[in-house]
Amino acid sequence: MEKRTRHQTDAQPYEDPLSNYDEAEHTDAVERALCEHTVGQLEIKPVVTLPPNASIRQAMQEVQRVDHACVLIVEDGKLKGIFTERDVLDKVADRFDELKDRPVSEVMTADPVAVYESDSPAAALCVIAVSGLRHVPVLDVNDHVVGVVSPKRVTAYLRKQLAS
Amino acid sequence: MGLEQDMLNEPVSKLPLRPLIKADRSMTVRQAIEAMRKAGLGCVVVVDEAGVPIGKFTERILINLLLHDPGALDREIGDVTAGVWKPIRQDEPIVRLVDALEEHDLRFAVVTDVEGKAVALTGQRGVSEYIADYFPRIVATARVGGKPFTDSREGA
Repeated sequence: MEKRTRHQTDAQPYEDPLSNYDEAEHTDAVERALCEHTVGQLEIKPVVTLPPNASIRQAMQEVQRVDHACVLIVEDGKLKGIFTERDVLDKVADRFDELKDRPVSEVMTADPVAVYESDSPAAALCVIAVSGLRHVPVLDVNDHVVGVVSPKRVTAYLRKQLAS
Repeated sequence: MGLEQDMLNEPVSKLPLRPLIKADRSMTVRQAIEAMRKAGLGCVVVVDEAGVPIGKFTERILINLLLHDPGALDREIGDVTAGVWKPIRQDEPIVRLVDALEEHDLRFAVVTDVEGKAVALTGQRGVSEYIADYFPRIVATARVGGKPFTDSREGA
């Protein structure tokens, strides 16, 4: 029997799998920037983090203290949830006295959708638009929390692009 | 036309606009919470007898009240509305809205008709949704689950 070497195969000639890839076309500089920059280039800090056993009142105080609409709930550097102004409205507002000392993990949004710092601002905006969430945590390649992106932060970035 | 030119030329009425929750000054905080929950909005607009906006009651004001005022739920929102206000006409260009949101550090803007009557609500979120429409391929593949790709993608 004829012995085959690894170079002698019946494989078809190599075809570039990306040969039919259409590169995105951008009509203007703002579109290009939204697609080609990264979320890491936006203002993704400050970000406030708390452990899951922090109280609801403590989480609300942090939201108010930093004048920032959300707190990320983090354990061992990993994202466990997000607590936002909307969670206060929907789950806490009319039961504040009853719930204020309970752990925030009971009312946070667990496993929220996140983006990576290497994603584009356009991708972050699309996640905001599709998911219906205003605040999207930003993770690094090891899934550690590095920031949060919001429509406000994207608008600030967009205004800089429009001005330049 | 591209996004930049469209933002400079298209009117605010082209944005995704949300219906307003209008209320007079006597609505209680408890009633405002119920109305905001029902509409899925973070803001109640307080208007005068002529329908002209005179203030807003927001989720941020609610948090402040809950933390510092034990009787907050029975207060009238007219007593606690925010003073910072920036109505924008529906025929003004979108870029004006972006400027106003940024300059006044606003999340919401009330859209008015030419007579100054409040007709809709928009803001940071409306601008985000407008921009997302320019990137349909990214929208089509946008992540919606909470699981990081590195946990769920084979071989990653």
